[in-house]
Amino acid sequence: MGSQGGFGQSKEFLDLIKSIGEARSKAEEDRIVLREIETLKARLSDPNTPKFKLKEYLIRLLYVEMLGHDASFGYIHAVKMTHDDNLLLKRTGYLTVTLFLNEDHDLIILIVNTIQKDLKSDNYLVVCAALNAVCRLINEETIPAVLPQVVELLGHQKEAVRKKAVMALHRFSQRSPGSVSHLLSNFRKRLCDNDPGVMGATLCPLFDLITLDVDKYKDLVVSFVNILKQVAERRLPKSYDYHQMPAPFIQIKLLKILAVLGSGDKKASEQMYTILGDIMRKGDSTSNIGNAILYECICCVSSLHPNAKLLEAAADAISKFLKSDSHNLKYLGIAALSRLIKISPDIAEQHQLAVIDCLEDPDDTLKRKTFELLYKMTKSSNVEVIVDRMIEYMISISDNHYKTEIASRCVELAEQFAPSNQWFIQTMNKVFEHAGDLVNAKVAHNLMRLIAEGFGEDDDTADSQLRSSAVESYLRIMGEPKLPSAFLQVICWVLGEYGTADGKYSASYITGKLCDVAEAHSADDTVKAYAVTALLKIYSFEIAAGRTVDILSECQSLIEELLASNSTDLQQRAYELQAILNVDAHAVEKIMPINSTCDDIEIDKNLAFLDGYVQQSLENGAEPYIPESERSGMLSISSFMTHEDHEPSTHTLRFEAYELPKPSLPPNAPPSSTELVPVTELSYVADIFQPTTSLPSASDSAASELKLRLDGVQKKWGRAHLLLPCPTHHFKQRHCEDSK
Amino acid sequence: MIRGVIIMNDQGKPRLIKFYEFQPVEKQHELVRSIYRILCSRAENVSNFVKVDSLFGPDVRLVYKTFATLYFVFVFDNSENELAMLDLMQVFVETLDKCFSNVCELDVVFNFSKVHTILDEIILGGQVLETSSSEVVKAVEEISKMERNANSILPASWQGR
Repeated sequence: MGSQGGFGQSKEFLDLIKSIGEARSKAEEDRIVLREIETLKARLSDPNTPKFKLKEYLIRLLYVEMLGHDASFGYIHAVKMTHDDNLLLKRTGYLTVTLFLNEDHDLIILIVNTIQKDLKSDNYLVVCAALNAVCRLINEETIPAVLPQVVELLGHQKEAVRKKAVMALHRFSQRSPGSVSHLLSNFRKRLCDNDPGVMGATLCPLFDLITLDVDKYKDLVVSFVNILKQVAERRLPKSYDYHQMPAPFIQIKLLKILAVLGSGDKKASEQMYTILGDIMRKGDSTSNIGNAILYECICCVSSLHPNAKLLEAAADAISKFLKSDSHNLKYLGIAALSRLIKISPDIAEQHQLAVIDCLEDPDDTLKRKTFELLYKMTKSSNVEVIVDRMIEYMISISDNHYKTEIASRCVELAEQFAPSNQWFIQTMNKVFEHAGDLVNAKVAHNLMRLIAEGFGEDDDTADSQLRSSAVESYLRIMGEPKLPSAFLQVICWVLGEYGTADGKYSASYITGKLCDVAEAHSADDTVKAYAVTALLKIYSFEIAAGRTVDILSECQSLIEELLASNSTDLQQRAYELQAILNVDAHAVEKIMPINSTCDDIEIDKNLAFLDGYVQQSLENGAEPYIPESERSGMLSISSFMTHEDHEPSTHTLRFEAYELPKPSLPPNAPPSSTELVPVTELSYVADIFQPTTSLPSASDSAASELKLRLDGVQKKWGRAHLLLPCPTHHFKQRHCEDSK
Repeated sequence: MIRGVIIMNDQGKPRLIKFYEFQPVEKQHELVRSIYRILCSRAENVSNFVKVDSLFGPDVRLVYKTFATLYFVFVFDNSENELAMLDLMQVFVETLDKCFSNVCELDVVFNFSKVHTILDEIILGGQVLETSSSEVVKAVEEISKMERNANSILPASWQGR
C-alpha cells in the first residue's frame, strides 16, 4: 500500500476497511461500523488521546459517515482541529469540517475566527486551505467577516491563491448577490491577470453574471473574442494544452460566454463570426475534447444572430456527429441539432433518417434526447408518426417521472397539431389508458372541454361527429380492466353528455354501461360520482325529449345503494337524480338543458330579479333588510369594545369565538429572578387581553373583567407579581416555595 | 456548475462522496443508491451521459465512467459541456494515477483524504479550477511536502507508518 507523505493510515483503519469489505451482510457491516463508532466516541472524547491520533480518528469518522452512519458526535472535534497550528492537522480539520457541516450549522461560528486568521497567514497553503473552507462554509451572515481578506487575496502573489480567491468571491455572489455587488469590478480586473489560470477561473463568475444581466457586459465582447483568439492560436504556455488542444476548458467557457453575449445582438455577433469560423475549421474531430469544442461552437452559432456560412459549418459538424459510431457523439449530435433547428428548421429534414435511427438505439439517454428533439421538430405533417412513437415508448418505460413528461408532451402535440378529430381522440385514449393517473388533472378537463366545444370552428356537424366518435371509442374501451380513474371520469362525463345525442345508442344501453363502470369501480367515489351524474343527465334528456324513462333494475339498485352511501356527495347526487325523475319535462329541460356545458352562466350579483318580491313583502309589512355591517347586534364582531358599549343594553350570550391569540414576542421586560412561570404562558395571557389595554376603563359594570385586563397590562410592563390574577400567581408562589 | 462528484465501486459502496451544495447524510445515501441503480441498468457500449432530472431537478445530468472496479460520476447542470466533463473526469483519474502510480480501489479507500485534496485542486465550489493534471500533481506534492515537514516535528512514533 503506497502510503504517501502524511496520508498513511494505521493498521487499525486498515483492519476496519478489510472487515467491512469482507462483511457478508448489511447487518454485519452495520455491527462493525457501530462498534467502530463506539471506539471513536471513546477515543475522541478522551483528553489523553494525542492530537496526531485524533487526525486519524476524524478521517475514520468521515469514512463512517460516508457509509451512512451518524457521526455528529465528532463534529466538534473536527472544528477544534481547524484551530491547530500544525498544517497537517489544520488541513485535516478543514477537510472534515467542510464535509461534515453545512453553512448554517451552529458550529460554523466557532470556525470563522480561525478562517479569518488563516486567510492572513504567511504560508500560502494555509491560505488555500482556508479559502477552500470559505467556499463551502461561509453563509450570508458570515460573509462580511471574511470579505475584506478575500478581496485582498485577489492581489496575492501566488496564482493558486488568486484563483481560489476569485472562486470564493464567486461563491459569495451566488450565496448573497447583494453582499458583493460593489466588488464585481474585481472580476473584470482579474480577467487581465497575467496568469492564464486565474483568467480562466474568472470566466466562471463572469459567465454567471453575464447570464443574469447581459447588457452590463457588452463592452467585454471584444476582450473575450481577443482572448479566445489568443488561446486558439496557441499563444498560451504549452502547459495549458490538453491532448494537444490549447486550453480547451478555457475555450469552452469562452464560447459559452460569447453565446450569451451574442444572443439577439447582431453587432456583437458579427464580431464573433471570424473566430468561430476559424475554430470550427481547425477543429479536431478525432479527440474527445476536440469534439467538445466543436459542439460548443455549434451551440454558440445557434444562439448568435444567424450567419449562413457558420450555419453550414455547424450542419456539417452535426452530420459528422450523427454518423459517428460513438454514442456520446450521437448524443451530442442530437443535442446540437435540437439547438440549431430553432434558427434553421430545414436542417432537420436532412437528418430525419439518422434521427429516427437513434430511436432504435438501445441507449436510453440517446432515446430520451431524441424524443426531446422530435418534440421540437413536430409539425402537422409529421405529428402522427412522432406521437405514435412517443406513446409506444411511453408504454415501454417504467420511470414515472419520465412517463409523465412524455405523456404531457403527447397531449400538448396532439392538441396543437391533430390532423383529425378521430386521431385526436384515439391518441388521447391511448395516453389516458397507459398514463392516466400520471397526467395532470387539467388534461382530462381540457379533453372534456375540447369535446364539448369542438375544435372552435362553427361547424356543428364536425363537432357532433367528433362527439360520436368519442362516444363510440369509449364504449369500446370502457370494458377493459384497470383503466385509470381520470380516464374513467372522462368516459363517464362524455357518455352522460353525448351518449344518446346522436340517437345511435339507446338510453338503456348507455345507462347499463354506466352502471357497469360504477359497479366495477365501487371503491372509487369520484368515478361513481361521475357515473351517477351521467345517469342523471341521460334520464333528464330522455324526460325532456318526452320519452318515458325506463330505469334498468341494476340502475335502480345502484341508486338505492348510493342513497345510503357514506359519502355525502354521492348521497346528494343520488337524491338529486331521484328528485329529477319526478319532475315534468318542461322543468327538466330548464334544469338540464341539452348540450349547454359551454354556455356561460351569467350571475346577477344584485339579485335584481328578486326586486318585485322584496317590494311586495315590504308592502305587506316585512322588516327592511339591514346589511350585516349595520346590524347593531353584530357590532361585536368588528369591534372589540363591545362589552362596555352593549353590556347594559343587550343581555344576551355571545356566541362569537374570541380571536385566536397571535403568536407574539414574550413580554418586553426580562422576568424577575423569582419568576418561574413559563414565558410562553405569560405572553399568551397577555396577548388575549391586549386589545383592551388600549382602552380607558371607565365603566364599573365590567370591573371584574377589568382586573383580568390589567393583568395583561402589568405583565406587559413587567411588574407582574404586583397585580397578578390568582391562578397564575398561586402557581408561581408554589414554585417559589418549592425552590426554597 | 458541478453539483457533485461520486466514486463508488461496482457493488454500489461509496468510496468518495462530495456534493457542492450541502445534502444531509441520508439524502446523500439515497442519491448514491438511486444513481447506482441507474448505472447498473445501463448496457455496455452506450453513451456516458444520463439525465437525472428526477433526482436533482431540471436539466441536471451526470456523466459516468468505469475504471476497473470503480464508477466515477460527475453530476452537473446545463452550464457545463458533457464531453468536457468526461475529459475533466479523465484529468481527475490521470492525476490519481500519477499520485498513486497505477491507482486502484484500495488506494482510494486508504488515501481518502488525499483523494479529497486532489479533487479540491480540480474543482472548487462546483466550478472547474484547474484542468492540467501536472499542475494538480505539483500542488498536491507541495502540500504533501509541507505536511511531511509539519509531521516531522511530531514524536517519532507517529511519523507515517
